[in-house]
Parts: sequence; C-alpha cells; structure tokens
Amino acid sequence: MDKKLNLKLMIWRQKGPKDKGAFEIYKVKDIDTSMSFLEMLDVLNEELTHEGKEPIAFDHDCREGICGACAAVVNGKAHGKLKGTTLCQLHMRHFENNETIVIEPWRAKAFPVIKDLIVDRSAFDRIISAGGYISAKTGSAPDANAIPIPKENVDLAMDAAACIGCGACVAACPNASAMLFVGAKVSHLIHLPQGKVEGKSRAYDMVRQMDKEGFGNCSNEYECEAACPKNISVSTIARLNREFMFSKLTRKT
Amino acid sequence: MLDAKIPSGPLKDKWSSHKLHLQLVNPANKRKYQVIVVGTGLAGSSAAATLAELGYRVKVFCIQDSARRAHSISAQGGINAAKNYANDGDSIERLFYDTIKGGDFRAREANVHRLAEVSNAIIDHCVAQGVPFAREYSGYLDNRSFGGAQVSRTFYARGQTGQQLLLGAYSALRKEVERDNVEIRHRTEMLDLVTIDGVAKGIIIRDLITGKIESHSADVVIMATGGYSSIFYLSTNAKACNATAIWRAHKRGAFMANPCYTQIHPTCIPVHGEYQSKLTLMSEGLRNDGRVWVPKQAGDKRLPSEIPEEGRDYFLERKYPTFGNLVPRDIASRSVKELCDAGQGVGDTGMAVYLDLSAAIERLGKEKIAERYSNLFEMYEKISGHNPYEYPMMIYPAPHYTMGGLWVDYNLMSTIPGLFVLGEANFSDHGANRLGASALMQGLADGYFIIPYTVGDYLAQITPINTDITTFAAFKEAEGQVVQKVSRLVSAKGKRTADDFHKQLGKLLWDKCGMARTEAGLHEALDKIPEIRSEFWDNINVPGSGEDLNQSLEKAGRVADYLEFAELFVRDALHRKESCGGHFRTEYQTPEGEAKRDDEKFCYVAAWEHIEGQNEQQLHKEALKFESVNLTQRSYK
Amino acid sequence: MVKALQHYQTSIGRKQIVATTGLLLILFITGHLAGNLLILGGPDLYNSYAKFLTGLRPGLYFIEALLGLVFLIHIWVTYLLVITNIRSRPIGYRLNSPKGDRSLAAQIMPFTGSIIFAFLIFHLWDFTFTPHSGAASILRDGKDYGLYGLVYNAFSDPLHSTFYIIAMVCIGFHLSHGIESFCQTLGFKHPKHTQAIRLVSNLFGVMIGWGYSMIPVYVLIKNMVNN
Repeated sequence: MDKKLNLKLMIWRQKGPKDKGAFEIYKVKDIDTSMSFLEMLDVLNEELTHEGKEPIAFDHDCREGICGACAAVVNGKAHGKLKGTTLCQLHMRHFENNETIVIEPWRAKAFPVIKDLIVDRSAFDRIISAGGYISAKTGSAPDANAIPIPKENVDLAMDAAACIGCGACVAACPNASAMLFVGAKVSHLIHLPQGKVEGKSRAYDMVRQMDKEGFGNCSNEYECEAACPKNISVSTIARLNREFMFSKLTRKT
Repeated sequence: MLDAKIPSGPLKDKWSSHKLHLQLVNPANKRKYQVIVVGTGLAGSSAAATLAELGYRVKVFCIQDSARRAHSISAQGGINAAKNYANDGDSIERLFYDTIKGGDFRAREANVHRLAEVSNAIIDHCVAQGVPFAREYSGYLDNRSFGGAQVSRTFYARGQTGQQLLLGAYSALRKEVERDNVEIRHRTEMLDLVTIDGVAKGIIIRDLITGKIESHSADVVIMATGGYSSIFYLSTNAKACNATAIWRAHKRGAFMANPCYTQIHPTCIPVHGEYQSKLTLMSEGLRNDGRVWVPKQAGDKRLPSEIPEEGRDYFLERKYPTFGNLVPRDIASRSVKELCDAGQGVGDTGMAVYLDLSAAIERLGKEKIAERYSNLFEMYEKISGHNPYEYPMMIYPAPHYTMGGLWVDYNLMSTIPGLFVLGEANFSDHGANRLGASALMQGLADGYFIIPYTVGDYLAQITPINTDITTFAAFKEAEGQVVQKVSRLVSAKGKRTADDFHKQLGKLLWDKCGMARTEAGLHEALDKIPEIRSEFWDNINVPGSGEDLNQSLEKAGRVADYLEFAELFVRDALHRKESCGGHFRTEYQTPEGEAKRDDEKFCYVAAWEHIEGQNEQQLHKEALKFESVNLTQRSYK
Repeated sequence: MVKALQHYQTSIGRKQIVATTGLLLILFITGHLAGNLLILGGPDLYNSYAKFLTGLRPGLYFIEALLGLVFLIHIWVTYLLVITNIRSRPIGYRLNSPKGDRSLAAQIMPFTGSIIFAFLIFHLWDFTFTPHSGAASILRDGKDYGLYGLVYNAFSDPLHSTFYIIAMVCIGFHLSHGIESFCQTLGFKHPKHTQAIRLVSNLFGVMIGWGYSMIPVYVLIKNMVNN
C-alpha cells in the first residue's frame, strides 16, 4: 500500500520577468507516494485555485521525460536528487513524511525567469541556429544505406543526441555554463560522416553564440553530467574542445 | 458528395503524374508569398523548413517554449518505410496494403499509396540530416517489426525515434531561422482562423507570456496542430496537446472527418490513482520480444513467477496464431479489455495484463534486451517502482492517437481554400486504425514531400497579399471574439477548476465512447455533455487575468473547446453503425468478437460541416472507392 | 595573429590558453622541484646547482621573463573567466547541493590559485631577490653557506615553514585538478581513459605538494635532531 506524505514546500514565486520574486511556503497533505513530483504540484495548484490564489506556474508537457520542458531545482539539485531523471519522472516515493522541499527555478543570466518556475531557454534555440545542424536540403539525400556508418560511431552519436535541451546542465553548473548542451550536439554530429562536412564551422559558430548568450565558462567540475537526466557524458565536452581547437587551427576562412 | 480531387490514372502513377501537373511558383516570386505554419511537430517543422528552403517567407507558431518540445518528440518505437533492406519481401505495394488493411479499409487508397511511395525518401533524408538510426555491425541500417506487419520495415533510434526525427526537423527549421527565411514565435497559441470571402487568410493567436491577442495574415495557412486524444483527459498525449486550433478552424468552415476514430494503445502503464495527470506509453516495439499474458484462473493472486506455464493464458498468441503478439493495436487493446472485464486482469486494480520479456531475456541475454529497451525499462521502473527485468511489466490500453481530424483533399487542403492540414491534425491516411510506426511516416511525408508541391500549386493560382490586411474587419471581428472568450473565462469566478471539468468529460468519454461503444451509452453521453458544458461556463474558476502568463486560462480555453468538440465526437460514433478499427460498436461484431464492418452502408468518410447558429453539424460523405484492394474481413489469425 | 586574437575572445579559447600556460607552469614546477630537492644532498651540491643556474645568465633572464609572462597570462585569463562565471549567475540558489562528486580541488581552484599567487610574490622576495650570501646565509657554525644557508635559515622558522607548506598543499590541490582539466580542455581525453587521467592527475598533485613540502619539513626535523 502506498504511503501518504505531508510536506512543507518552499517555492519561488515571481509574478513577471521584472518582478523581484520571493520564496513562499505552502503545505500539502496526504500526498500519495506513487504521484510524480509534478502531480504533487498539480494537487497544490488545485488547492490554490480553490482558495482564489494564483497557482504556481511551471513548465511541463510530455510528463514522460523526453520533451525537456519541466525544470526546477529541488532541494538544491537540478531535477531533484535522482540521477538520470527529469522532474516529471521523479516520484514522491523518494521523499519523506514532513520533509521541507525547496523548489527554485533554473538560475542563470542566460535563462531569465518569466514567471515563478518558468524560465526562458530560447538561448538554446539560438545556439542550435548558429550551427547545430547538417544543411541537407529536402530531396537531396542519397540512399540511406549508401554510406555505412560503424555501429560504434552511431552509438556514440546517439548517446549524445539523447539530449532533451532541458537546461539542467546550465542550472547545475557552478558557472551556469552550457558546454554540455553544445558538446552534446557537436559530438552527435561529428560522429557521423554526414556531420563532418560542416564540422569545423559548427563548433566555432556554436561556441561564439553560446558566449554571446551570457553563459559561464566550463571549469571541469562535471556537475552537468551528474544533473543530466539523459546521462550525457562530459566526454562530449572534451570532444567539443578538440573540435573547437582544430576548427580554429585549420579553418580556411 | 465531397470531391477529394484524387488524380485519375492507375493507382501507382497518380502521385507522379499529379506532381507533373501541379503548377509551380517562379523562384523569384516565392519570396512574395507569406506562409503561416501552426505547430512544430514532425509535420509542422518539416513543412516549415522545406517551404523556407524553397524560398517562401514562413512564420511559425509554436505552443511550447521551443519547437523541439512538440509532442512528436515522445514517439518511441520507430518509423516505417518500404526499403526492404531486410530482404523479407517488403515493397511499396505491401506497405500500402498493410496500411489500408490495418486501417480496416476506411482510408483513401490514393493517399495511402502516396504515403508508401514517399516513405523511402524520408529515411534517406533523415539519415542525411544526421538522425542516428540504429545500425548493424556492418554499418547498415537495422530494422524491427511492428504490429500489423509480417516484415521488418521499422527504422528506429533506440526507444527515441520520434525525438531524433523531430530534432532533425527542428534543426532544419533552426537553420532556416538563422537564414531569416523563418520567423518563429514560441509560447503562442492559435485561437482562431480568419477567412476572407471564405478563403483562409490568417490566424488569431494569444501570446502566452504577455497575454496579447494578435492577428497574423498570410497567403496560406498550414495547420499541423496534432490530435485530440487528450479529450479523454488521461491519455499518452502531452499536457499541451489540444483540439482548439482544429476546432476553431472547423467552426470557420473546415469539415471535421471521422472524429470517432480514436486509437487506444494497448501497451501503456496502468492507471494508479485519481490524481494521475497522464498515462505513459510503453513502445509497441516491446511486443517484438514480449509476450502478453494473464493467469488462466480469474482472481489468481500468485506472483507471476509462481504461475507455471500451463497456468498462463497467452491470449494474443492463442487467439491470433499468425500475428501473435504483433496484432494491430485496436485488436490487442480490445482483447486486453475483454479479459480484464472478465476478471482475469492483474495488479491492484485488476485493470492490467502482463507484458513479459523474461523469455526474451533468457534467450538473448539481459545485455541485448537492455540495448533494445533500456530507456523504456528505466522509465517503467521510475513510474511503477517495479524492475521489469525481474517482475513482468503490467500494461493496460490508453488513448494514444486520433485518426480523425480535419477533412483534407488529396492536396491536403481542407474545405476552406488556403487552409492546409498536416499530420495527426488531418484525417487522411490511417483509416479507422493506425499501424505502429506510421504516424512518424505520415507526419514527415506530409511535411517534407507532399505539402511543398501542393502548397506551391495553390499559391501559383493566387496573387500574394503583400499589404497589411490584419486591420480588415474579418480580423478585428475574430480578435474581438477571442478577447471576449478570454474575459468570459477569467470573469466567471466559479468554483471548479478546468482540470476538474476536463476529468469529468474525460471519464464520461472513456466510459461511453472509449474502447467499446454502445448506442445507449453514446446517447447518455450526448445528453450529459451539454450539461457539463453549461455548468462549465457558469462555474469555471480561472484565477489571475488574461494579461500575463496564465496556465489556468490556457487550460480552461482548451477544455471549453473540448466540451463542444466532444458532442460531435460522440455523434459521429453514434452515426457509424458498424465497427471498424478503433471504432468498436458492441452491437456490430462477428461471432468471434471482432469488429464487423458494414461496407455497404459505411464505406465512406464522414465529414461534418459546422452550420452557424445550429447545434448539429451536417454530414457530408466522401465515398471510399477501392480499385486495387478487395475489402475483406480483417484477419490476423 | 588575428586568429589568435579571435581565439582569445571565446570561452573555450580562453580556457585553452589557461590550460596551455598551466601545462608550461607544471613543467617549470616539476623542474624546479627536481632542482630544489638537491638541497637534501647538502650545501655543496645545492650551491653548485644555484651557481650553474646563475651561470646561464643573461640567457636565463630571457627565460625568466618568458616564465613571468606565462604566469601573468595564466592569471589574467583566469581572472577574465572567473569574472564571466560570476556574472553568468546573478541570482544564486537558496539551497545548492551538488548532485555530482566534484572534488574539493576543483571547487577551490580560484582560491588555491590566489594563495599561490600571493605565495609567489613572497617567494620571489624571500629567495630570488634576497642576496644569496651574507648575514642571512650564515648558519650556526658561523660559516656562509650561500643560498643553502639562506633557505636553511628561513625554514628553521616554524612560522615561515608553515606558510610554505600551506602554499605547497595549495599547489598540490591546484595541480591535482589542473592536469585532468588540461586533458579535458584540450580534448585529449577519451571516456576510456577518464579514470586513469584522474588518478595520474591526483597522484601528480600529491607528489608535487609532498615533494616541495619535504624541504621545510627536512629542515625542521634536522634542526630538531641537532637540538
């Protein structure tokens, strides 16, 4: 039988991008341990609505750990304490009765708060725009089996391509750096022969955009890897560093 | 009778000869045309990127904070194509036939054939984009099998195929944003379609951050806003999925086709509580290696490991020896429901069956199984708290996909000229039931390889607007209506939340218009829906205002539209006095309990027209003519 | 040149400059330690090593200037990086508890770096720019032992020695993260070697820290024995 929990929640409330914001304390009762964390917030929101208060705004969509929308720092940890898990997949069975839970938005200059726990992550989109693609026009491709790709390379590409763009790496990094996000994309594409063609400009252009967005610098503390819900390895960052160095040294333009 | 504008000629030449006859827009003139794309899933992103590559000016609207989060991202299993890399006898004709048959002969032949024809180009293009499809040690692409097929034609990227395909389309879209061919607006919701003289010329959106209601005009509007499974409240769809865009378009004159065709996916994690906000799918791919069973003895409470082979009923294998665990989704779902209704279900609620991979783990080893499904297993364990390597998974069907949608002709244009509808939002290619791994195929076929031709043909025949028409009366009127609706919602100040109403509606539809439908039940639902709707408008509680980010308001608006749509949904189910695919009327079944079609009376697409001022929609029929397949009773035995 | 400047303006470029200068400094520190350990061989050996080095002048000035420049670049570019890092999170977390196992060494890099910088100035004033003979070099037997005597006298003061040891522990920590960081930042790293690199990096840090600390410890112990 599932247990029931009573919890004290300390949640960041901020009306809009320009407001100061502050923590507020809420109590929830009889939380079923088989609920997901977001379902627990749903319960609170229903209560707040009934009390005539504004519910807590938080990003969420697929609730199965793949869309990358949900995002909050729970008790000091991005997506909560479980490794390799998005917030929507964190279940209440991992909490104790009468626990106090501190819930904060991602904190980074490049991810300004929009409301409550919702932040603006469009910086990631702009980084992808700068070069996170292969410029293959629709209709121009040869047969899919024309170029065999070693399974090992595709597996490495897939490991990196699993990134869901949630931003936990930035949230967890002591310097709010986006190196794991950029590293994952560069690493994904560089492991494929199709991605090598634009490899040199990609690493450079994406890093330039990343810098412009106001992310911090990597100090190799690997908190990003620990917080990544898809367990993307920091070896993707090493790969990015290497690609970047050679992009500068060997690029013709 | 509706004219679907199906080209003449033999089935296999229709698309190529049609392409030859479509008009083209001069490259220099393409920039003069403004295209609006709503939705950034596979269909929307691929269409927007491709049209931008061609040179059109494209404006994209996306409900999430990034185009990459559209719900296509959640598709797990794979994408079909008639490549025949497995050399197991696949061909375009076979993919065509499987899809038509899987859809229980309720899809348009010409569309399905075209889908099968372009399927191969999709795989080529996605590989070129860097989609890391699974490969064999040789370096060549690997395939798996899916339900309703006896060949291995499904390409996959672990259990994240939808994600990888969407990221491919998304990155192509971002590339076009960088090149200034696409302007993208995130966190915006389409709340109305604007027509001028009956032609689609723009949309009304709400900026979900500022609450601002805006008008946007275009020469053509493309909607790729997905399906409406979340009308059941609990479904595998994402929370933002909704039918508001298609419903608004319907009310502006687009016919809604076959709304009652819904797909209930057999392999989802069972419901475990009242508070539950969504259901999670376990990929159909698992049925490749998993065996579905229940204890033979109803009410057997022993642990699954304690039940010997002879005490287990592998009911899919028993009932359908040829296809076994890989029967199509509608059939699998119904079998599960039947057994659970008969008390043979397992788990706390009795509303579940086992999906057991232990035989495969024993045969192939844990490592091989982990390679194929580890992410699914992890997800299952996180949600259920059980380790599927040790304890068989429990599954139960859940609403997953809607074959119905806005009616479109062969060119994917709705009954409103200038409004094109792609992907799950249209009704076109899956008939009464969609086969696994075909949704990704259809979304990308529509976006990459069909719409670029057919939209060009439409635009070639009209003059670009090139002036600001958003000040026209049609826009102002539509804006006014949206503003009014928003203010009505926030000022109602009732007692019940949008979720509360949504749950009530969802439960009603699940009980009365879900996996099995009866005449009496549908009538009951039809009586009840208007009651819920009128209470909704009196008693809805939306805190906050319409002038900033307000998720309660967003939800309430979507539920309001579902409450209207639900009636048509049920009415369509009531009118279709036959069983076919996902639409199962208990009155119409074979002695073995299979769906019994009535081809004489119902071999048509039911397209409903909204008539202003009238409660009931008017039915239009598009007769389905089958030239190259024989209509047979579907058999997977 | 333009390329180099552009490189200098990017985050990864800056990090790679820090990593490269860091490597040069590691080489220097290792060589310097090897030389310094000659002190254990007694005054003659040690003083002849010092003499050998001074004999290299004026060429040595050039190398010393270069070394100074490397130091300054390492410090200045790190400073730039740290400033961006601070600015990249204007509002911090109320509760921040790391999910990973980031090492103490990594967390305190700027701190250990600052201590090392302060130490460096002191150290130059202490041994490099103080005359290597005269009053400060005379040991208890009344003889002038040159640089050997200077170092010996300095480390006979427990306070002085403690400061040196603390600084050397900082260098040890700094390097234990530094070498691993170097491999990561220049991308000479494969997932297969991660553990090995981390081990080597840590061992090296410990070795340098211990190696340098051995000198004041040796002097202190020798004094104790002699007393």
